[in-house]
Amino acid sequence: MRLLLAEDEKELSRALVAILQMKGYEVDAAYDGAEAYEKITAQMYEGIILDIMMPKMSGLEVLEKIRGEGILTPVLLLTAKAEVEDRVEGLNRGADDYLAKPFVMAELLARVNALVRRGGVYSVQNYEVGNVQLKPDGMELSVEGNSLRLAGNEVKMLSMFMGNPGRTIQVSQFAGHLGEEEPFDESMVNLYVSYLKTKLDSLHADVTIDGDAKSGYRLVEGAMV
Amino acid sequence: MEETVGSNFYEDAQVLLESVLKELLLRIDLLRRYEVLSGRNDPVEHCKGRIKTERSMIDKLQRKGLPVTLEAALEEVHDAVGVRVVCQFVDDVYQMADIIRRQEDIKVIKEKDFIKNPKPNGYRSYHMIVKIPVHLPDCTRELFAEIQLRTIAMDCWAALEHELKYKQEIPNQELLQKELKRCSDEMASTDLTMQTIRQMIAGADSK
Repeated sequence: MRLLLAEDEKELSRALVAILQMKGYEVDAAYDGAEAYEKITAQMYEGIILDIMMPKMSGLEVLEKIRGEGILTPVLLLTAKAEVEDRVEGLNRGADDYLAKPFVMAELLARVNALVRRGGVYSVQNYEVGNVQLKPDGMELSVEGNSLRLAGNEVKMLSMFMGNPGRTIQVSQFAGHLGEEEPFDESMVNLYVSYLKTKLDSLHADVTIDGDAKSGYRLVEGAMV
Repeated sequence: MEETVGSNFYEDAQVLLESVLKELLLRIDLLRRYEVLSGRNDPVEHCKGRIKTERSMIDKLQRKGLPVTLEAALEEVHDAVGVRVVCQFVDDVYQMADIIRRQEDIKVIKEKDFIKNPKPNGYRSYHMIVKIPVHLPDCTRELFAEIQLRTIAMDCWAALEHELKYKQEIPNQELLQKELKRCSDEMASTDLTMQTIRQMIAGADSK
């Protein structure tokens, strides 16, 4: 599970990163709103912790922008002021939860755990990227009328890709969403990426999967048709 | 009862059709052996051919609103001779199509890729309409033939679809058609999965 922590108070950020890492999360830190936005659009996260008061872009602005781009990653807002307005505003703009500063570390951890638990939205909705459509409930991948029926793990993996177009997904992140029966290790990820590439290609999809096991994989548009 | 017109519809052309069929089957057999001799896999699982029965040729001419004449049967209908090449893997299908395309005396008239663009019912195959010369004592004639290339999975699917199509009055026909389409999409997906695994095995070999 990979988290983004956007918090401009460096010392607090360092402490939070250390504790979250100790609890088994991989954590990237951003120190202002613009940096947070940049990271969120480049890399897939299972959860985002956003401080509201940040330089360059406020947490609320970042939130509104990413939701506007269809990024549905669960977001926990950190509100400095105990003002109701901020919380309401945050929830209205698409936050999943909030926590008022100052907070107790145990509560933050509990809320983060709950946040990423709810992140398993990837297999219920339909996706459309480029000329490719994925209907997870029918396990159907189609391009302009030509369709293939995928296996369960292929659907889940492609849902992650199509839910995060253009954003890098690390090999370790697949493990959390796939392989309930057997561990989804690096060679499995590579194999399933190959399956999906072959299948997208055979359907003349205008998207493909780029990258490698080391730097992560991402769905890119503009493949050769 | 057979109509009289059906009893000897192909007349002397029967010999030409048989010759084209034999020629094609022999050629494909030779090409397969040559692939094996060259240390590659035999791209073909099995191959068979047929000459369209006179009855179904006449039916087809009528269905298409063409004159029921030998000339139309040989010039307007292109599958009086039909050969089916069944391969193990999807890449073998394309490889065989490539090899056939490279035969100097076989003229490829038309190709239809129903693998990349399946029919709405789920039918998948690669079709080639070709012209083959038959050398006679005083002239050379060219005859049409249809070559269908597909994987074992596609062949199995087509056999079942054929049964459904020619059986009258099946209850829940629509449901079965839908299920068949789903099967086709599943088998096509598995064909590609196996092809990917095969390429990985081949890749591991060469390292």
